[in-house]
Amino acid sequence: MLFNPTGLTECLQEWEDLEKDYQQIQDTHRHYKHKLEEVSKLQESCSSSIARQRKKLKDLSESLEECKGAVNPEDVNKIDDIQESIKERPNVFFEMEAFLPKKNGLYLSLVLGNVNVTLLNKQSKFAYKDEYEKFKLYLTVLLLFFSFTCRFLVSYRVVDALFNFLLVWYYCTLTIRESILINNGSKIKGWWVFQHYVSTFLSGVMLTWPDGELYQMFRNQFLSYSMYINFVQFFQYYYQSGCLYRLRALGERHNMDLTVEGFQSWMWRGLTFLLPFLFLGHFFQLYNGITLFQMTQLPEWKEWQVLMCGSTFLVLFMGNFFTTLGVVYHKYMDQDKAKGL
Amino acid sequence: MSLERCQSEWTEIEQEYQQLQETHKVYRQKLEELTNLQAICSSAISKQRKGLKDLKQSLYKCKKSCNGKDSEVINDLQVQIKERQNVFFDMEAYLPKRNGLYLNLVLGNVNVTLLSNQAKFAYKDEYEKFKLYMTIILMFGAVTCLFLLNYRVTDEIFNFLLVWYYCTLTIRESILRSNGSRIKGWWVSHHYVSTFLSGVMLTWPEGPMYQMFRSQFLAFSIYQSCVQFLQYYYQSGCLYRLRALGERNQLDLTVEGFQSWMWRGLTFLLPFLFFGHFWQLYNAVTLFRLSALDDCKEWQVFMLALTFLVLFLGNFLTTLKVVHQKLLKNKDKVKNN
Repeated sequence: MLFNPTGLTECLQEWEDLEKDYQQIQDTHRHYKHKLEEVSKLQESCSSSIARQRKKLKDLSESLEECKGAVNPEDVNKIDDIQESIKERPNVFFEMEAFLPKKNGLYLSLVLGNVNVTLLNKQSKFAYKDEYEKFKLYLTVLLLFFSFTCRFLVSYRVVDALFNFLLVWYYCTLTIRESILINNGSKIKGWWVFQHYVSTFLSGVMLTWPDGELYQMFRNQFLSYSMYINFVQFFQYYYQSGCLYRLRALGERHNMDLTVEGFQSWMWRGLTFLLPFLFLGHFFQLYNGITLFQMTQLPEWKEWQVLMCGSTFLVLFMGNFFTTLGVVYHKYMDQDKAKGL
Repeated sequence: MSLERCQSEWTEIEQEYQQLQETHKVYRQKLEELTNLQAICSSAISKQRKGLKDLKQSLYKCKKSCNGKDSEVINDLQVQIKERQNVFFDMEAYLPKRNGLYLNLVLGNVNVTLLSNQAKFAYKDEYEKFKLYMTIILMFGAVTCLFLLNYRVTDEIFNFLLVWYYCTLTIRESILRSNGSRIKGWWVSHHYVSTFLSGVMLTWPEGPMYQMFRSQFLAFSIYQSCVQFLQYYYQSGCLYRLRALGERNQLDLTVEGFQSWMWRGLTFLLPFLFFGHFWQLYNAVTLFRLSALDDCKEWQVFMLALTFLVLFLGNFLTTLKVVHQKLLKNKDKVKNN
């Protein structure tokens, strides 16, 4: 405040000014709460209407399918028309629901309870998405430095435990944030979501692995692996977000599309140079898995963590490798088709 | 179904769809208006807050240099300012706001303010139920680990469950606080300390040290869960009554300790609570002794000892303070009568 009251009269004057503003705020707030009620009613009616429509459309497409067998070819056209229109509806409903509050899925209910996490306007959705991307980028850099420190500079179990704590927290937070993003209309799905749950589990098990001969045998390999993976991921986020930005500006990608830790079909344009690095990372995972399985053959093997980490690395390898291979395979099939035409 | 009926069905759906689109458009428009109002309210409130703060300071300065009559006026104003600040707190419970550091780290900047009273109560009830159910699950988990299964893996699962439980509690409490619950001080930070404690327990490797402390820790867990079960059960009943009488805020929560409102009817919990606190002290002492042994290599032992000591000090001193204040008040009352 420019004005700095000193005497009592001035204070009283100031109080009166505040009082006036206060009355106005109360009015605005009352108005706001009134509007809030209206909006919640509209939300409810929209949500229930969408649910009803979905059910009806489902019933209708079933009956249309039945009809199709028993009508003349002229009517088949009509049915096709209707079926075509029905197909477009789910997308529209999906768009609409992105602006409506909804019940949380199992994971978010377990962690947050039933608090509404739908962001109700476009700006805040983008802001949240951008924050997520930045969070990933910064944490990757941080983890890169951390694993470097553990690998080459300090060799204490406590520091390793801190590093693993950071990993657990990082992956946990990623899964939570991704669930929130999915709730807000991001179409990330399949393995690239599930992968983070597996990684959370893996780093959780790594955290509980006690110090010992076997731990020391695997330690350097694991830290090198972490360094490599974080290095690749840094590049990935960096190039992917640039590429996504361009494609979004061209209107070819959805506004809420996210970067992932793997390869998706849209990355064919300009990001194929990442593929060898990715495959190397996957084989590193396989190598980790094999090393751990070999350790279980040793006479000094006691810890269950060795076997568990081995299987988890194997799961990670298979998921990553086959998903990426699937994308590459699809691309070649598409190209063949294009040539055939 | 015949084609005709399908077609009429389709037109019906189409009509409803048009209507839905209309409603959705209106909804989006209203939503935008609402967002604008929110921004206006929030900025006006923060401006007022600042004004009130400045005024308060000036009044404080004035108070030193004025006569008796004026100081009465000033006192009056100060009371009103305090009331005003409470009103703003209540108003802000219905406005979205930026998350604090912890929620920002875990969730990012998603709005967690529930905007209607029903939703707030529903969330609070869910929180209480969650605590109650989890306490029961943890009690069974501890009993199973202590008496039935003596495997490191089951212990680890139990500890994982503990870490997850306390993590979730801290997140949910942060959400509740941004919705207007006034839980604060030790009873909040207590859960952060417990999260840390169970995290360290989780990394404690198997060995003679671990086996020496294992049964004591599990027995402690069982006792703690029992007391907490009793606490939640009685507290929520008591809170329900006080809320119905209008003596407590609607969003008041149960806590793992003793608060002043529990004097009515819940004093029988005090001995159990104090016993639990001394058990924490006993754990700390045991762990300090273990860490002094020659064959103790693990850093976890000393760290856990310190954490148990912090827990004991926090719990014990906070509870003692509540009791002390109550006794002072009672004395005053006796004197006045």
